[in-house]
Amino acid sequence: LISNPVPSATAVARQWFLARDDLDSLIQALRKSGRKVIGPTVHDGAIVLDEIESAAELPAGLRDDQSAGQYRLAERNDDRLFGYTVGPTSWKRFTFPAKLTISTSHRTNFGFDQPADDPPELAFLGVRACEIAALGIQDRVFLGGPFTDEDFRARRKAALIVAVQCTTWSGTCFCSSMGTGPEVRSGYDILLTEIEDGFVMQAGSPAGASIVAHLPTRKPTHAETGAAVDSVEAVRTALGEPLPMKGIDERLKHQLDNPRWGVVAERCVECGNCTMSCPTCFCTSVVERSDMEGKVSTTDRLWDSCFDVNFARVAGGDFRARPRDRYRQWLTHKFSSWMDQFGTFGCVGCGRCITWCPVRIDVREELEAIAPVIQPIDRPVAVEPAAASPGAYSIARLAAVKEETEDTTTLTLTDLDPAFLAGRPGQFVMIAEPGFPAVPISISRFRSTGIDLTIRAVGPTSTALDNLHPGAKVGLRGPLGTFWPIEDAYGRHAVVVAGGVGMAPLRGLVDALVADRDRFECVSLYYGSRTPEDQLFRDDLRAWAAGKAIDVAVTVDRAGPEWKGRVGVVTTLFDTMDCDCARITAFVVGPERMMQASVQSLISKGVPPERIMVSMERHMECGIGLCGHCQTGPFFVCKDGPVFRLSELGDLYVREGI
Amino acid sequence: MASTGRTVRPRVAVAKFASCDGCQLTLLDLEEQLLEIVTRFDIVEFPEATSRHSPGPYDVVFVEGSISAPEHLDQIKALRKQTRLLVTIGACATAGGIQALRNLADHDAFRAAIYEHPEWIESLATATPVSEHVKVDAELRGCPIDGNQLLELLTAVLVGRRPQIREEAVCRECKRKSIVCMVVARGEPCMGPMTVDGCGALCPSYGRGCYGCFGPRTGVNAKAWAAGLQRSGRPPEEVWRLFAGFTGYAEPFRTVLTELGTAKK
Repeated sequence: LISNPVPSATAVARQWFLARDDLDSLIQALRKSGRKVIGPTVHDGAIVLDEIESAAELPAGLRDDQSAGQYRLAERNDDRLFGYTVGPTSWKRFTFPAKLTISTSHRTNFGFDQPADDPPELAFLGVRACEIAALGIQDRVFLGGPFTDEDFRARRKAALIVAVQCTTWSGTCFCSSMGTGPEVRSGYDILLTEIEDGFVMQAGSPAGASIVAHLPTRKPTHAETGAAVDSVEAVRTALGEPLPMKGIDERLKHQLDNPRWGVVAERCVECGNCTMSCPTCFCTSVVERSDMEGKVSTTDRLWDSCFDVNFARVAGGDFRARPRDRYRQWLTHKFSSWMDQFGTFGCVGCGRCITWCPVRIDVREELEAIAPVIQPIDRPVAVEPAAASPGAYSIARLAAVKEETEDTTTLTLTDLDPAFLAGRPGQFVMIAEPGFPAVPISISRFRSTGIDLTIRAVGPTSTALDNLHPGAKVGLRGPLGTFWPIEDAYGRHAVVVAGGVGMAPLRGLVDALVADRDRFECVSLYYGSRTPEDQLFRDDLRAWAAGKAIDVAVTVDRAGPEWKGRVGVVTTLFDTMDCDCARITAFVVGPERMMQASVQSLISKGVPPERIMVSMERHMECGIGLCGHCQTGPFFVCKDGPVFRLSELGDLYVREGI
Repeated sequence: MASTGRTVRPRVAVAKFASCDGCQLTLLDLEEQLLEIVTRFDIVEFPEATSRHSPGPYDVVFVEGSISAPEHLDQIKALRKQTRLLVTIGACATAGGIQALRNLADHDAFRAAIYEHPEWIESLATATPVSEHVKVDAELRGCPIDGNQLLELLTAVLVGRRPQIREEAVCRECKRKSIVCMVVARGEPCMGPMTVDGCGALCPSYGRGCYGCFGPRTGVNAKAWAAGLQRSGRPPEEVWRLFAGFTGYAEPFRTVLTELGTAKK
């Protein structure tokens, strides 16, 4: 490996000040030492890296505004020489040429010759922190294993590095997320930090120090060294909260089947510009050229790209035949398998793949959508149940009874233990009437002084409960179980999917979404029932639709002539979704088949399985994980659920007989 | 072909259909290699260079131009029968060329708009690539073709191997040559992401967007680029014109044109 200069503590302590007008003395000193100076200069509307002969060729007083698929130069209101970030060229062009003749072969005088020219002595002026990291990554790739690239080694050794601290940032920078910047800490021979009138300089190697010794420097003031530190720190602050890259390599390994690969591949044109602009991408192909007789041939190595349609092709076919395969290969290599191969990410956060993507694909957004950090569901039950163990009941009074459908009734209970009022949407209670076994019923609404339970009369207890009159007393245990992780939908599109009486455990959720509407990008409710007569909460549906805070769409499986609305299963409503499905957090409850169909449809549209919440119905008797009835794989649905994240359930969910 | 050696030179012919002759000129433009080429190949038919005619069979025929007139239909089939390696050259022969734009329009109306006596003009309603009519052994794309690719093909014929012609985006060559992307840095349209390279990013290196004359890469996501151009503010008419250039009749550009055309109506 190239031993990157690591500045000693005394060297770092030693600082100089060079006036901006004197920067040319540095360039001339580098040239005098026999080096070509490669530095930033303006060409065709961008700041590229090319040979420069004087400081006059540097992009004085310019900044670069960058966003996905867009790069524009603009005037700064000062005369800084390094007041921009990284441009289309990366330094790999000079250590790892885009086209390199690697051998010449002869038939007559049979043999293969390798070029033996020494590479030019270069000085790289203006290398940023992310780019020093990129050179280090290519060191590992080309020099870290048993087989090495000696051309790279020679070019790398022949380059003197004059680093520049970033004192500005662009919209596509994310070095602080990748841990590569913004500050340069090592890997330089000379380090410049541009401040108001010039540069604070440090030397990171004897070669660097000997150059600095020839310059018209002076000792910097405390104000100058302080300004240098502050300006880099300001960039870190401006870059904001780092992206959650910790563990992304592992997370991606579980997302190889994520439908988002197909979604992004529909936008991708496979030009390969991301890989060609990338400072670490190292894939190449060789091409042969020969004279007409085939007596002398030349082998050239060219930068290639894993997006090339022929990149993984063999005689019998293509191992990565689909665009989605190739996009997945690139992204998982950068952020996952590179770590396995070389011990680092293959990304330094320079943002070139974002800026120079002509169709504006932002790798940060793709990572967030494909392998988001999922906080585990907030498991602790918000409130200690008023009563939990079978046999111990808290008493509540029936305040009101409302018939919802022919067989379903909503009971409003009051005069109950405050613990019930502190429950959360998604939780349930065990309710009992003397003489009848307790049944689990989800809480369908939280009121200031009571709770609603919506009960379909299907067994002896539920029938008895539905026949109660106001004033009657019931026994309650709870609130029990997990609740909807509403926070997961903050800033996202909350989609509530209800089927039949599954609307009951979702009504409290919709109440909460409406109450906190500003926290969500949008809120949609899709509700399907067998017939119009089977719809629950018709008054609420009407009020929600009229309130316009949320979108409400309802459908029925079959209807009489008086029904003017949609007919069809609930998944047919999804066709009206008009949003980026990766930004959806879905909450789904209904009959098992309806839930499975809904979940499959959501996944196929690109909703990540981590963002799909389901509430499971199982046989429950105790409600606290002791009786064993509701076991599903590793879970007790009563205690570990009923609300689950689909990704937790994995293929348990779609498998029958579990 | 290696066995043909020097004594029996491969018989090469150049044939022309509806075209401007620019691709044939590329052969003449290989000035430095011309002597070697005529030493190693017997060029028996070459309308741009000689009035000499020789009947077939031929070892290699370079076919320029699209099938555009009624008599072309029989001519190309006859030529194929006499030819061992039929190589189409240029956008017209490989994709129909600029004249294939009529395939997307009303041919009779075109004729009536241009010619005083349209009834004297005998042309087919469509201009089509040679491959729609006969088997093609190799193709060289572009308007005009690239001299180096032609030389590589001739070399491959002599050496007896497959020509090494890469199929990658023009963007790839732009990046290797450090040409700043005009789409990103200047907001100018370019067909580079769609188009197979072969020219060495010729137009972009002179600051112009790629015209797509080498045609679409295999399986290229043309819809995405049409959408991307429109997202960045290009009206559908302009996107239509970009895709409709020299190779608009080639799939998947043709599908994009059809869809954009429908959208306009």
